[in-house]
Amino acid sequence: MNNLIQNEMLKLLARKRLIVVGGILAILVVLFTYAQYQTVQTQLKKLGTTDWRTTLQQQIIDTQNRLANSRIPDDFKKELEVRVKQQQYYLDNDINPAEPGAPSFTKEFMENSIDLLLPLMIMVIASDLVSSEFSMGSIKLLLTRPVKRWKILLSKYITLLLAISLIIAMMGLVSYLISGVVFGYKGWTAPAFSGFRITEAGFDSSGASIIPQWQFILMDFGVVWFAAVVVGTLSFMVSVLIRSTAAGMGIILALLIAGAILSNMVSSWTSAKYFFMLNMRLTDYLNGSPPPIEGMTLSFSLLVLTVWWLLALVISFTVFTKKDIY
Amino acid sequence: MLILRKSLSIIITAISAVLLLVWLGGFVYAVQNNLNVKAGDIKDTSRNSKKSSVVNNEKDLKVVAIGDSLTRGMGDETGKGYIGYLTDEMKAKSDKPVIVQNLGISGQESDQLLAQVKTYSVTRQLKEADYILITIGGNDLFQGGQTLADFQPAAIKSIQKKYLRNLDAILSRVRSSNKEAVIFLVGLYNPFIELDNGKETSQVVREWNFNSAETAAKKPKTVFVPTFDLFELKVNDYLYSDHFHPNAKGYRLIAERVAALLTW
Repeated sequence: MNNLIQNEMLKLLARKRLIVVGGILAILVVLFTYAQYQTVQTQLKKLGTTDWRTTLQQQIIDTQNRLANSRIPDDFKKELEVRVKQQQYYLDNDINPAEPGAPSFTKEFMENSIDLLLPLMIMVIASDLVSSEFSMGSIKLLLTRPVKRWKILLSKYITLLLAISLIIAMMGLVSYLISGVVFGYKGWTAPAFSGFRITEAGFDSSGASIIPQWQFILMDFGVVWFAAVVVGTLSFMVSVLIRSTAAGMGIILALLIAGAILSNMVSSWTSAKYFFMLNMRLTDYLNGSPPPIEGMTLSFSLLVLTVWWLLALVISFTVFTKKDIY
Repeated sequence: MLILRKSLSIIITAISAVLLLVWLGGFVYAVQNNLNVKAGDIKDTSRNSKKSSVVNNEKDLKVVAIGDSLTRGMGDETGKGYIGYLTDEMKAKSDKPVIVQNLGISGQESDQLLAQVKTYSVTRQLKEADYILITIGGNDLFQGGQTLADFQPAAIKSIQKKYLRNLDAILSRVRSSNKEAVIFLVGLYNPFIELDNGKETSQVVREWNFNSAETAAKKPKTVFVPTFDLFELKVNDYLYSDHFHPNAKGYRLIAERVAALLTW
């Protein structure tokens, strides 16, 4: 088994896709860092101060004024109310929700890439793990060895899990190193809130506790990893089912983008919450942002994702072990 | 070459395996932490107790504006409001940098403003201010035009009593957070002056303003700024199409009046 995994890893490294992913990430992080820097500068010009309390207070006031507007839709109103209460909570406790520094940037970057950017990167790796063997014809060589088929697939799957872990670490590292040049590398021990909940009644801070930022970031990475594993497994399944890598990528891409679009407009179509794409934003539960559909909770999303994950795994293994190879 | 590749791949595999365990640990931690939250146990494990000191930069002019939609600038198509025009004027006149915090919230009544000035963060900002501008009372009195349409003197009396009590508390509160700054309380105008019962409503507004001015006069360094006369003659030229909020011209009039009072 160990040898099989080594073999798969060698193949993966030889294809240089990890380097491509790293390059794409580095370019994007440079862009985002610059954008963030510009935002800070304009804010400085507008408010005349960099004091986060003043900025946050202004944000609260602005949102309160938006709430006073009678033309905004109800669900958006609810979201704004949650945001105001959360910001007020930060302000009352004298804790900066966006402590400047590379750790905060990294956190935000992970939170924003969990539902689209990261899955795309994962997909690049996962979608041709099996199908490329078909398209290159090497599958026959692989299967003529005296090893059970499920073992071969398992070694590929484990390699995928390893690659996902590596990509996430790469993402964190790249964004930390690059953004730190501008924002500084400090901020790991800054206080952060965890345990906000969104209930029927709105924002609930009764379970909140203060933890150091690095613990929060670790949690963020943990759920990001889980979401990435689910997407990776689904791409893996598609890769088993469809021989063409391009077609497989297209399918996953379409699903992911559909999810991104849906989450902006489905608040009234509640059964959409069983789609995996709408449950991807796990980090939102950690930082207390409202879910796309009312009533969704962390445990619900984890359950939905786990079901999709298991299904994809079962389908991949049964199909691959029974498939006629010619 | 192949051997190098192979050892590289082993190293990468090992690193990935460690990372996998770390992320898995993070995931388990996140799930534990967020699924079993017990109510009411704020644990403060990392917060540094040092409160940042208030920076009062002597070099700049700091204006904090609180109040209702007039402070916000509702009705002005440029979105500036009297605060915006006032800032422009101050910037033109002064060579110091001018910093303006607009904390106005549309639709705010006096009791809501009182709650707002009591919050810690607003107190903090008031403390740093050189000038504090307040518009309040319009929503208390007019209730979107309802009060004066019904016109029941007894009801207006009780509204006014409550308002004056709130105003007194607001001014005391603001004063206690900042002993030095000059407070400008901008008075009400009568947007309904050209309607049928304009005479009666004007009388109510005048009395309202008179009492506000009296309340302000009792506080040190607190100036009541009348606006009633500005809108008395050509009210429709200065009102926005909702016939309630000022338009750009109207806001400019208020701003000029306040600007004339500012000295530094």
